Amino acid sequence: MNLSRSSSSDLILDVDQVWKAYCRNLKRAMWYGLKDVGREIIGGGRDRNHHNLRSGEFFAVRDASFQIRRGECLAMIGPNGAGKSTMLKMINGLIKPDSGSIQISGKIGALIELGTGFNPILSGRENIYINAAVLGMPKREVDGLMEKIVEFAELGHVINDPIKTYSSGMRVRLGFSIAANLRPELLLMDEVLAVGDVGFRMKCFTHLNELVKQGVSIVLVTHAVGMLQRVATRSVVFGEGKIVHDGDLETGCTIYEEMLGASDRVRAKQKEESGRDGEIGSVEVCNEAMEPQAEFETGETVRLRIQINARAKIKDARLIVALCSPVHGVLNSVSTPYQGIQFDVDPPGRVITLEFPKIPFLIGAYHFNISLFGPEKVDFYHRSSLRGVFRIVGPPTDADGYGINGITKLQHSWKIDG
Amino acid sequence: MEAEFEKSKTPEQGERPIAVARRAPEVSAEVNSGGTDSFSHPPRDVIIYSAQSSIRNPVQLIRDICTDFWLGRELAWRLFLRNIRGLYRQTLLGLFWAFLPPIANTAIWIFLRQANVFSMGDTQVDGTVYILTGMILWQAFIDAFQMPLAMLNKNRNMISKLNFPREALLLVGIGEVVFDLLIRLLLLIPAFLIFQVPVHSSILFAPIAILGLVLLGAALGLLLMPIGSLYQDVGRFISMVLPFWMIITPIIYVPLTSFPGSLLNWVNPASPLLLLARDWLLLGTTSHFTTGLIFGAAAIPMLLIALVVYRISIPVLIERMTA
Repeated sequence: MNLSRSSSSDLILDVDQVWKAYCRNLKRAMWYGLKDVGREIIGGGRDRNHHNLRSGEFFAVRDASFQIRRGECLAMIGPNGAGKSTMLKMINGLIKPDSGSIQISGKIGALIELGTGFNPILSGRENIYINAAVLGMPKREVDGLMEKIVEFAELGHVINDPIKTYSSGMRVRLGFSIAANLRPELLLMDEVLAVGDVGFRMKCFTHLNELVKQGVSIVLVTHAVGMLQRVATRSVVFGEGKIVHDGDLETGCTIYEEMLGASDRVRAKQKEESGRDGEIGSVEVCNEAMEPQAEFETGETVRLRIQINARAKIKDARLIVALCSPVHGVLNSVSTPYQGIQFDVDPPGRVITLEFPKIPFLIGAYHFNISLFGPEKVDFYHRSSLRGVFRIVGPPTDADGYGINGITKLQHSWKIDG
Repeated sequence: MEAEFEKSKTPEQGERPIAVARRAPEVSAEVNSGGTDSFSHPPRDVIIYSAQSSIRNPVQLIRDICTDFWLGRELAWRLFLRNIRGLYRQTLLGLFWAFLPPIANTAIWIFLRQANVFSMGDTQVDGTVYILTGMILWQAFIDAFQMPLAMLNKNRNMISKLNFPREALLLVGIGEVVFDLLIRLLLLIPAFLIFQVPVHSSILFAPIAILGLVLLGAALGLLLMPIGSLYQDVGRFISMVLPFWMIITPIIYVPLTSFPGSLLNWVNPASPLLLLARDWLLLGTTSHFTTGLIFGAAAIPMLLIALVVYRISIPVLIERMTA
């Protein structure tokens, strides 16, 4: 533990070389659990890292280190099973690291599951007291905040009715309102942003932004990367238990989108068959000068160089290219017949170049799905997914309503009457 | 708002508004004393989670357990009220359900005795009161014994998602056991009147023995909880042996005095304190004072060890709840 680091005044969270192993085999996990309890009771620590993994175990978190300062909102993103929730649980003190340390300077408030501890038979008001007590708030403080909590949740008309008469959205609102009105120094949130209706969600974002301004630090875990820009200022991306990125949000989201694509790519490759007469060969994304390039700005020209291999002549070949985003799916699909392009492919093959002048897409990761057909609908040769991955890295977008945001940049003009 | 924040930065043991984890504060002492710039910045609660076992600093561990009992009292009270209110709100007979089990049990055994299925021995007071008292005490012991695992299972969702003083659950559990016990003890009032049982001054000591009995049960249950939570075999085994355990406990008969039957009073942890409590409630004199005292005294260190085991095992058990 680095003391000089930890005593710095606005460091709220210091995660230092943390490892955590899990066991998927139930019987073994039970046995290891018993052994772990026994070892701790006789004073043995669990200090384990990659050198001594027990049989059947794997690392859910490996050698993770990051820090959070006062007033920072950090997004932890990554595919399923990348170790985000495990990390959050360790920060929250629910489970212990197997190696390394986590130092927290300040009070933690956690919104892991909203409304944990609600009793359906009791009224909303009674449940506020219980839920607040679970989160550590004494009754006199709840009394002072009661009106604020009820008002924020917009449940004034039903607060004395039993919780079981509430809709799921109402419960979620109540849970968020209680937790949001506590005053933590570090707020942990796991997949709770995607709840409630749009209006309430916006209210939550506003509230979170206010908390950040007041110096509260927030750790968000979510798959809904599109919403992150509203609150998060930094991202930590997890991949297979490791931190693969710690830095700005844009790059983090892009890397995450790429990782989503990569896992699909592996699957697609496994499916791929061999022994066709024609197939999509190498695919390259290039700039205007036909130099390979992976990063572009919105409005630049993107060229796609597609090598088609043929064992036998393909007459009246048809090429269909779909431009996709791992998050939003197919954004646009073009085909050679649409522009009246007619071509044959003779063995061993030929190169086709597709140009997108002034690409209108905004910051994010993109790729192509390419299909090769003959003249008729049934003349299918080959489909190749997740090819030509490229990123749009600028100019910055703005989620607060002062710039442009979304997937594409639309040509537009404003007119003010009068 | 600003003022609230400033206040929350200084460590105030009594009022930490947010559930703060406290698993390895021995290191935090080190940080606070070692921090060179602690004058320029107000010291804050520093929590460190590491792979180290907290048992390496036993004094701090015990202190943390005590602190958490204190911090968890409000939560425990809320949960206790929630459970009690929730328990009887959707019933027709309400609190009557608390009385029913011991009455039914006693009725069965009284019926069997009248049918001469077994002999009780010389109980010195009316057999019905004798069995009823024994049943109520046994029920309290067994409730306390099964409480830790039951609390853990009932609150699985909360435990695995929220960090709150874990000791609060034990307070709730003990509270519920004592609440049920007190309600059942009310049954003794009409029983004493109907069967004309004289009231002795020793009845004033009975609560001590009863408390000892409940704490001993809870300690045993706590020690079993980690295994019981990991392996469901334990729970099944316990429910299988409970009837036998009840039979070897002198509830429906007077304790055996001749060897080897008398040995049961020593090896059965439920016996000594139960006998002591019942003698103090019904007879005024007791021949189980020494054994009761020994078991009562043993209950205290055992409970301490059990609390340490409970605290240490919870994070490991949570891993298995989610793994």
